[in-house]
Formats: sequence, structure tokens, C-alpha cells
Amino acid sequence: MEVYRFGFRAMGGIGEVVIACPVRTKAKDAATLAIEEVGRIERSYSRYRSGSIVSRINLAAGGEWVECDDETLSLFGYADSLYESSGGLFDITSGILRQAWDFSEPAVPDRARLDELIGKIGWDRVGRRGKEVRLPEIGMELDFGGFAKEYAADRAAALLHAHEVGNGYVNLSGDIRVIGPKPDGSPWVIGIRDPRDRDKAIASIPLTSGALATSGDYERFFELDGRRYCHILNPRTGMPVDYWQTVSVISPLAVLAGSCSTIAMLMEGDGLQYLNDSGMPFLAKDSTGHLHRKD
Amino acid sequence: MMGTALLTAAMALPAVDFALAESAPEKTKVSFKYLNYSESQYTPGIHSSTSGGSDDNETHHHAVIVDLVSGASTTTTSGSGTGAVSSDRIKVNAYTVSALVPIEGKWSVGLNYTYDSVSGASPQYHTSALTTMRDQRNAGDISVTRYFSRSSLTFGGSYSTESDYLSRGASLMGSFSSEDRNTTWSFGASLSDDSITPQLAGIGNKSKSIVAGLVGVTKVLTKNDIAQFNIGYSHGTGYYSDPYKANDNRPDRRNSATALARWNHHFEDSDGTARLGYRFYSDTFGIKAHTLDAEYIQPVGSGFDLAPLLRLYTQNEAEFYIATNSPAETSPTPVPAGQAYSSEDQRLSAFGALTVGLKITKKVSEDLLFDVKYESYHQRSDWALSGKKDTGLAQFNVQSIQVGMTCLF
Amino acid sequence: MKRTTIRLLFGAPVFLLTAASIFGCSAATTVQPWEKQNLARPEMTFDYDPLDTRYTEHIYSSKEAASGGAGVGGGGCGCN
Repeated sequence: MEVYRFGFRAMGGIGEVVIACPVRTKAKDAATLAIEEVGRIERSYSRYRSGSIVSRINLAAGGEWVECDDETLSLFGYADSLYESSGGLFDITSGILRQAWDFSEPAVPDRARLDELIGKIGWDRVGRRGKEVRLPEIGMELDFGGFAKEYAADRAAALLHAHEVGNGYVNLSGDIRVIGPKPDGSPWVIGIRDPRDRDKAIASIPLTSGALATSGDYERFFELDGRRYCHILNPRTGMPVDYWQTVSVISPLAVLAGSCSTIAMLMEGDGLQYLNDSGMPFLAKDSTGHLHRKD
Repeated sequence: MMGTALLTAAMALPAVDFALAESAPEKTKVSFKYLNYSESQYTPGIHSSTSGGSDDNETHHHAVIVDLVSGASTTTTSGSGTGAVSSDRIKVNAYTVSALVPIEGKWSVGLNYTYDSVSGASPQYHTSALTTMRDQRNAGDISVTRYFSRSSLTFGGSYSTESDYLSRGASLMGSFSSEDRNTTWSFGASLSDDSITPQLAGIGNKSKSIVAGLVGVTKVLTKNDIAQFNIGYSHGTGYYSDPYKANDNRPDRRNSATALARWNHHFEDSDGTARLGYRFYSDTFGIKAHTLDAEYIQPVGSGFDLAPLLRLYTQNEAEFYIATNSPAETSPTPVPAGQAYSSEDQRLSAFGALTVGLKITKKVSEDLLFDVKYESYHQRSDWALSGKKDTGLAQFNVQSIQVGMTCLF
Repeated sequence: MKRTTIRLLFGAPVFLLTAASIFGCSAATTVQPWEKQNLARPEMTFDYDPLDTRYTEHIYSSKEAASGGAGVGGGGCGCN
């Protein structure tokens, strides 16, 4: 069996589908389906695309109820669990803080602006009845960006698996879901980059199944007066978190690995306890450069 | 635990959890296995009261028995003070082909076909009067399994024919797993209906039917331990006697119960796996039996696994078993007056047994596997842990070799 | 049928009953799905090499009084 790699751009980053197949054409057909599935999720759950379910809900904020399909409802169900298990820190209505934070220039938004936006955050205030949803206030926004990429990796991997691909993985900008080991049964070895030196790996992790996802302060950030301001924002303070440089989690599903690493970032000092309690293997580097891990 | 709540929630997302589902097999599996099996029995020489010098009488005495053997090769060894007799009994060559075919990810169909040829000699009573026999058996079975998200259901049918024996069977098996898939409950029920047409004058056609049930639970104990516990019950009515044996008249009802405990443990340091099992068996013939199984599988590199195995067995005799009347008997023991049932079958006597074996498996690739297994089985009345030892029985031994191959497509 | 089973199993060694009670109220810590790579090895399953089991069970049931215990089904034969 040959191993084929298909690269593509999606979800604001680089994606790859790596699969083992006896024939290239079959691999290509399967990979095309997987890449299309990633595209479908990006289109459905992007805030920016008019007509997507998310933009329709956001446009109707403060107004009409919007009926949702089953997939969206199940994502809401998952959002409920994220909100609960993070004590409200993982909130899919907190994306509006980005209206104040523009990482293209080093400037900290003023307090009044942040407080105004914080007033429009609150997943617990979002109306739900049957299959319908309603944002209670004009200006409120839903944003699935916190787990859509990982969800897409899981869905693409499940689709490949359903098309009889037993060996390979889906990688969306470092969030990886493994379908099965290399054809010889050995694991895929996945390197975790050093957040301060992107050419260096701080660990290499062998995976035969399951998923690995990483959150970090290196994706979008600026530095001002010796402090790093990253894109992971606390919905209560409106300010970037700064306890961890990076958190990687291994779990059976990419969506779960991604959520746990993001929650740990958001919990800052309490994140280590959260990771230990989750029971999942992790590797984390705090702001002093100290490594914490559980295998 | 917060991680567990999130996992449950994440698994509720549409179609992301394939790796965790109770999935049907993904590839077609075709296996072939050959078995070469040969039995022998051995009577140690009777020690003469004086040491040294062969005893002509005794040697001659055994020679009489040798004369009774028709067709089976027998060797008589005359050592100092001994006249040991070793006789070949049954030889079997068996061939099985098996296929497991997945269908649409939710079903699988299993097919098995076995042909075996049996030849050699079988005792007419105890371990005496070896009589030649020859037979062929054709057996086939089919099973259909439906997989659900956390359960599976299997229907099976089987058919087996010999010159004088026909067996038909049907079975139903099911399994249900807990949400975390750490506990699996299973049940099974089976029916079989056998027709016996003894090729002997004066014995008409006979039949036997058996209903059996089984319940079990399999539990993941740690990430390196899994254990299983099963209770089984079987209720049989019909012809249980062996028409080719002297004085064989068994009850027409046999109920049995089994309790089985199995435990597999993986050693992370050596990468080896130990498989242990214990079975308790009890039936209405009055037999209780204990079986202890141990196997250790060690990967040794280049795709080879070495697996030594050990099995210990003991049973007491059936209530109606009639023991030998002398160490070198020339006729069956008469049935005591007034005894309704009787059997002089070695298999119903009290004995202990030991099996040692070695299996070598070679994984050529993910889709191709070869294996060879050698086993040596020794059965002796002296080794019975309970019951009344019948010291007049010969020791019974089996050597067997299996050669197998499995391909995945 | 149930009573007969209990009667026949009367006299089963105590450790079997202990094993049964462990199953009844196991306090074993939950093993997570991502910790099951060792349990997924073929030799850790209870139906490892079914053809081997088929031959072996057939041989023992024809040479010993006891049989069964692991499952149901499979054809009978005239060998016992």
C-alpha cells in the first residue's frame, strides 16, 4: 500500500489528508470527499459567509427565532457542555471581542469598549426552543471558530474511514485526527513545535489512533511593553490569557482534544489541574518555559 | 470527571466517533488450518518381583493382547523386568477453511467448512480390544452477525455428517456493551438435533437433542487487564451410549453446567500477553471436572510471536463407570447385577491430563499471518485429583500439529 | 433449569464465586477509550484464533467428559 498526501487550504490555514491506499485514484477520490467535507463545514459555520446558518442567526439577533438543522443543534449541545465544563470560560458568543482586538497592530483596546462587548457575551442567555434559536440582543454573535476546525478534522476522518480508508490522518493546521496507523502498523509520529522557536520541536508524539490538538499564544498576537497579547480571550475580562505558551492534548476525538487544550489555556493557572482531572495525556509549556506533561 | 462529560458530549456530535463504535470487521478474512492428530496409549511394563531379566510369561501375556489388535500398529518392548506396550489409536487429518465477510459495515457473514478423515483403532472397553475404524466427517456452519452501535446479534446454523452420525444445530448469540464500552454482557442459546445410525446389526436408528444456554460478562479492568466470566447450562436427551463399546448403556438424559473465568493481562515491560482460564464443569452423570489453561504470547521481533502453553485437567468418574478387573484384562468387566447404567469408556473414568504446547505465529504483513502449533497431551488415571482411580487403564497420549494461514483482503 | 444449574455448580471452587462477585460490584477505575491500545491487540481478545479454538475444543470434548463453557453453537459429532 502506498501512502498519498493531499494538501489544501481551509479554515484559515493549511490542511492535509494523508492516507494509505492500494491505488492512487482511489486515494484521490477519498481525499476529495474529505476535503469537500472540510469545505462544507467551513461554509456552514463561518461567520463571514452570508447565507450560512451562523450568519443568519447573527443577523436575526434581537429579532426573530431561527430554525436550525440537526447538525447545528448537536453543535449547540456540545457548546452547552463546553460552557458548563469550563465554568463559562468557553463561550461561543465571545467571538465579538475580536471587534476590539486587532492583532495587526500592537494596541490594547480601552476598557470601556471591552466592557461594552462583554455585556453582549453570554451563551446562557441565548434563547432555545425546540429546533429554534434566538440571540436576545442586537450585536450578539455566535462563533463556532473555537471548535469547527477540530470538528471538521473528525468528520473528514470519519468519512475516509467510511470509505474503507484504514490508515492515515487528517491534519488541519496542526489539529490532527488519526484514522489508523501506517500500513505496517507503526504509529504516525507527530511533532509539537516550540511556540517560541517554530523550527524546533518540543516533543514528538506517536499516534496510531485518536487525535492531537494544540492551542497556543503564537497563532495571532502582538507584543507591547514586554507583554504578549494573544488571540485567546477571557470572556469575563475581555483580555488575552497569558499563563500558557502552548497546550497539546491527546484524546480519541480532535474536537475533544481541541476543546480541552483551549479550556486549559482559558483557565490559566487552574488549567494544569483541569488537564490532570481530564485524564487525557497532555503536554503544556507555561509562560516561564517550564514543561508539564502526562503520558 | 470533566473530561468524561465532554467526551460523552463530543461523541454525540454526528459521525465523529467511528474509532469507538462497535464496528463490524472492515476486511474480508480468509483462514485455512490443517490439523494432524495422532493418539497412542501406553501401558508401562509390570514390574517383576525380581529385578533384572525379562519375564517371558509377561511378555507373552501382552502379546496375547497384541493379537487382539487388528490393524493398529503395536510395539511391545521388553526391557529389564518390564513388558511395556505402546499402541497407536486414532489418527486424524483435518482441514478447515473459514471466511468472514463484512457487508455494508453493519453486517458480517461467517462461513466454515471442515473435512476430516479419521482412521486407526479405538478400544471396545477401557483401553483394551482395539478395533480398527475409519470415517470421514464433513461439517459446515454459517453465521450472520448484525452490528449496532453498542451491541451485536449473531444467528448461526451448523451441519455435520459422518457415516453413522448426522448433526444439525442452530444458535443465537447477542452482546451488549455499556456506554463506556468497559463492560459487555453476552448471552447465547443453541439447539442441536443429532441422528445416529449405528452400523451394527440389531441397533436401530437413534437420536439426541441438546438445548444449551450461556450468559456472560466481559469487563475491562485496567488498560492492561480484561476478564470474562460465563455460566453455561446444557440439557440433553436421547441416545448417549456408544454402540461400539461393550457394556455401554448410559442414561438418556445428560444435563451439564459450566462456570468459566478468563483473564488476559498485557505486560508493558516485555510487550507479552498472558492468557489464563479456569473452567468448572459438572453434569448429571456425576462428573465434575476442573480445567486450568495458561498461555503466554511473547513477540520476539521480525513479526514472530512465541506462545508456550500449559493446560491442566482433572475429572472424577461417572457414577456408572465400571473399572477394569485386572491390569491386563482380556474381557470386559461384568456389569454388577441390578446396575441400570454402565460404561467402560476411558473418557468417563477418573483421570488427570496435562497438555504442553508451543505456538509460533509469523505476521508477514498486516494482511498475512502464518502459524504453527505443536501440542502434546498426556492423560493418566494416576493424575486424577478426585474420584476413584482405575489403575488398570493404559496411559493415553496425543500429539498434534496445526498449521494455519490467515489473509485479509 | 436455573435451579439445576445452581445445583450442578454447587461445589464450584470458592475463587470462582469470588471472581463472579468481582464482576458484580467492580470498583475498577474506568479505562478511557484512548487507553485501550493494548486491549485492542488480538491476543488480548477472547476470540483470538477461532480455528485453533475450534480444533482444540473438538479434541478435548472427544477425549474428556467435560466440554463447553466459552460459547454456544458449533456442530455435534459422533466422536463422544
